[in-house]
Amino acid sequence: MTDSRLIRNFSIIAHIDHGKSTLADRLLERTGALSKRELREQFLDSMELERERGITIKARSVRLNYTAADGKTYVLNLIDTPGHVDFAYEVSRSLAACEGALLVVDASQGVEAQTLANVYLALDHGLEIVPVINKIDLPGADIERTRSQIEDVIGLDAANAILTSAKEGVGIDEVLEAIVTRMPPPRGDETSAPRALIFDSWYDPYEGVIGLARVFDGTLRRGMKVRLMATGKDGEVMRLGYFTPHEQAVEALGPGEVGYVVAGIKAVEDMRVGDTITDAERPAAHPLGGFKELKPMVFAGLYPSEANQYGALRDAIEKLRLNDASLVFEPETSQALGFGFRAGFLGLLHMEIAQERLEREFGLNLIVTAPTVAYRVVTMAGATLTVDNPSRLPDESEIKTIEEPFILASIYVPDEFVGAMMTLCEERRGVQRDLKYVGTNRVILHYELPLAEVVFDFYDRLKSMSRGYASLDYEFLDFRAGPLVKLDLRINGEVVDALSVIVHRDKAYERGRALCEKMREVIPRQMFEVAIQASVGGKIIARETVKALRKNVTAKCYGGDITRKRKLLEKQKEGKKRMKQVGRVELPQEAFLALLKVEK
Amino acid sequence: MGFSLYAHIPYCHAKCPYCDFNSYAASSWPEDRYVDALIAELSSRAESGPWKNQPVATIFFGGGTPSLFRPESIGRVIDAAAHRFGIEDDAEITLEANPGTIDDAKLAGLRAAGVNRISFGAQSFNNATLKLLGRIHSADQTRAAARAAHRAGFERLNLDLIFAVPGQSLEEVRSDIEAAAELEPDHISAYNLTFEEGTAFFADLKGGKIRQLSSDDQAAMYAAVREELPRRGFPMYEISNYAPPGHEARHNLTYWRAESYLGIGAGAHSYARNGAGGRRWWNERAPSRYIERALSRGVAEAGAETIDEKTAAGEFVFLNLRLREGFASADFERRFGRDFDSVFGARAAPLLESGLLIRSADRIRLSDRGLELADAVFAEFV
Repeated sequence: MTDSRLIRNFSIIAHIDHGKSTLADRLLERTGALSKRELREQFLDSMELERERGITIKARSVRLNYTAADGKTYVLNLIDTPGHVDFAYEVSRSLAACEGALLVVDASQGVEAQTLANVYLALDHGLEIVPVINKIDLPGADIERTRSQIEDVIGLDAANAILTSAKEGVGIDEVLEAIVTRMPPPRGDETSAPRALIFDSWYDPYEGVIGLARVFDGTLRRGMKVRLMATGKDGEVMRLGYFTPHEQAVEALGPGEVGYVVAGIKAVEDMRVGDTITDAERPAAHPLGGFKELKPMVFAGLYPSEANQYGALRDAIEKLRLNDASLVFEPETSQALGFGFRAGFLGLLHMEIAQERLEREFGLNLIVTAPTVAYRVVTMAGATLTVDNPSRLPDESEIKTIEEPFILASIYVPDEFVGAMMTLCEERRGVQRDLKYVGTNRVILHYELPLAEVVFDFYDRLKSMSRGYASLDYEFLDFRAGPLVKLDLRINGEVVDALSVIVHRDKAYERGRALCEKMREVIPRQMFEVAIQASVGGKIIARETVKALRKNVTAKCYGGDITRKRKLLEKQKEGKKRMKQVGRVELPQEAFLALLKVEK
Repeated sequence: MGFSLYAHIPYCHAKCPYCDFNSYAASSWPEDRYVDALIAELSSRAESGPWKNQPVATIFFGGGTPSLFRPESIGRVIDAAAHRFGIEDDAEITLEANPGTIDDAKLAGLRAAGVNRISFGAQSFNNATLKLLGRIHSADQTRAAARAAHRAGFERLNLDLIFAVPGQSLEEVRSDIEAAAELEPDHISAYNLTFEEGTAFFADLKGGKIRQLSSDDQAAMYAAVREELPRRGFPMYEISNYAPPGHEARHNLTYWRAESYLGIGAGAHSYARNGAGGRRWWNERAPSRYIERALSRGVAEAGAETIDEKTAAGEFVFLNLRLREGFASADFERRFGRDFDSVFGARAAPLLESGLLIRSADRIRLSDRGLELADAVFAEFV
């Protein structure tokens, strides 16, 4: 165990591309945690998907040993955080595990909005923030402007900001010294019952769930019977240790220490992010604060594009869920798509990631229906139903009210974009709650918005309308009744259940028309004409036609190279396999997500 | 029963921008050594396979530009085939020729060597289109070459046409057909231009330098071709081939009927049927490597594929369906020992129901609409 006075727990807050990963690599390199040879670029973002998207989905932690100018050797725990609104809760738990944070700002780009939400979150948790002005080697670097931006926009004293070029290795020692001298050591009660915060957990097929924990009070020891205070699950500590980033097993983790815990827990839902781990035989009186049970906000149907893959899909989702407690699912059946699952996600990014992982890691070919929120329906008979699949909405005559979830959105944005943000929110049926200046030209807007309107490309629009400067955070408010209707899509007259959506009555016509147009673009020409119609309550409100395909024949047979001809046909057949047969019409996978892509 | 022999001559004066055959622009070529290599390969292949002790029923000299070779060289290959296999009395011996590389003397020489069918790459009778296609000949040269072929005694003459060339109009396609028919060939092939990966046209298409005609325009041209040619005495018998009865290209029928063929030369493909399945192989593509290997080892295989019964059954169907007459289900059963419906009944049913396939008496064939959507039909059988 380490003397807690020699521990510093910190995270790095940065806008995408401002050099967080490069800085982390330099810290690892300078403290000898990794040799140059071992140092893969951007060690922290180890998941393939994360690398491609350039974002961190799951938190990670690395323990570094650093001998400071005062001659003492410190233990520095770098706790990495995810970077998207869908994972705001995970970010808050990671930050809760820290005493300090490095705020990395690109000297040529200045402060960008994405970092703001996390900075405020860090300030809320009382973290000591050390500003780092990075990329000072770039020709466009403007250190003084960046410094004053940090002061004006965030309200942090940037006089002592550290100047670095992580790429060139400049200023790394100063960063390490600042972590030691400017960030406080953790404070904890060594003698009281142990309390450790789980800030990440994942499933390992051999060991069960592995949790990353920050010990606040007491000590976790190998062999200790432990309890997770929110879920009530008990286990026994089989292994614990830390990552350097190489794994290092230890006998105990004391106050202020950060490490992994393996306690014979079988599913991540039993060791959730935010839970407190304590001694089962001498439990703490109160858990650490801040635990939230995450509820899925967005629902979509997941179907195998080939019916015989249903079993494989079920196995894959079950495996994925072992690692992702916030993913919920249950079987459902669609007339158009056959057997599949209705799955719930934290948000759209979470949904996309789940889809990609299912396809990539399990070799599945999926059709995902347009995401929807869960509506609350009160029927004439007085029953209350939760509808997370539009096709299950009862007939209009049976419905007394439909309620939809509302959220409170916090939008951080430079004041020059306030007008655009207000326009966007109002287009989406938002109601402004307030508008506050923070710093000289930075604004926080609070809007009450229907979640359904945020699900559909709101985040992308927000980003594009603010040139990337706006950031979004939201929390659930309540359910509110509204004039909502089911918009059906018909292909050659038949309603395709998987394409139904629930929309506000005033928007049904516009959505219906946009959806039909999009469908006409994505549905390839077939052997016969395809009629696409949108209808509300049986009344057709929009129509498009895909003309029949006139020709699909290759003139040549490539002489004796029949193998080539056959392979071309196999390829064509493969392309067809990715289509879903609805009646006689073949629909490409994009068709089921067309609603999402409907631009305003 | 006789078999089909294909001999590939890979050299050309210039590489056409649409061509993805194994051909190389050259101003000189090792003709004698190449012919030696062809003969070496032919001799070693005579030892085994379905053609062992079988006479040659058809020979096809394809390219490249086989007419670049001297008639004596072509004669040597024919003589070798006669020596190793024997040649049927009524054998069809075709040579592909570029109208710009032919004269009376050459045609007379080819006739004397045993060639009895000439196939000219006319492509178009519009000089601007010919230029766009990168052809080295003019429309008048095609006319002169066709007359010369008749003078030299070639009763069997094919003209290749290409349609749906960027910038081409429906009128031009019709007038090309008229111009071709006027030259009194006994066979016309009319191919819809395709943009094959690896060609200059494909790169130009991707780079936006040329634009493909719309799918509807191409369909209209194909319809015009299928209307004009039969009207002028050339009924359609295959997706891109037209001839009066009895004048079909017997060599190509071998491919479409999924029978064995021996291909010799650089990049040539062969298929040795063995019962229901068979083996397909292909030669080294580079001429120099082909020559070196054929001369030193007698064979120059670069790759091979075993065609199992299931694959062979699919190939049999999609190849035979290229023919207007389709195939007799009895022939399918004879080859595969199972009746067509037990193998493909479920896949054929929706095609029959939607009218893309027609079943009448014992035969299965494409309908007119099926012809236009042939690839979609074929894909159901692979």
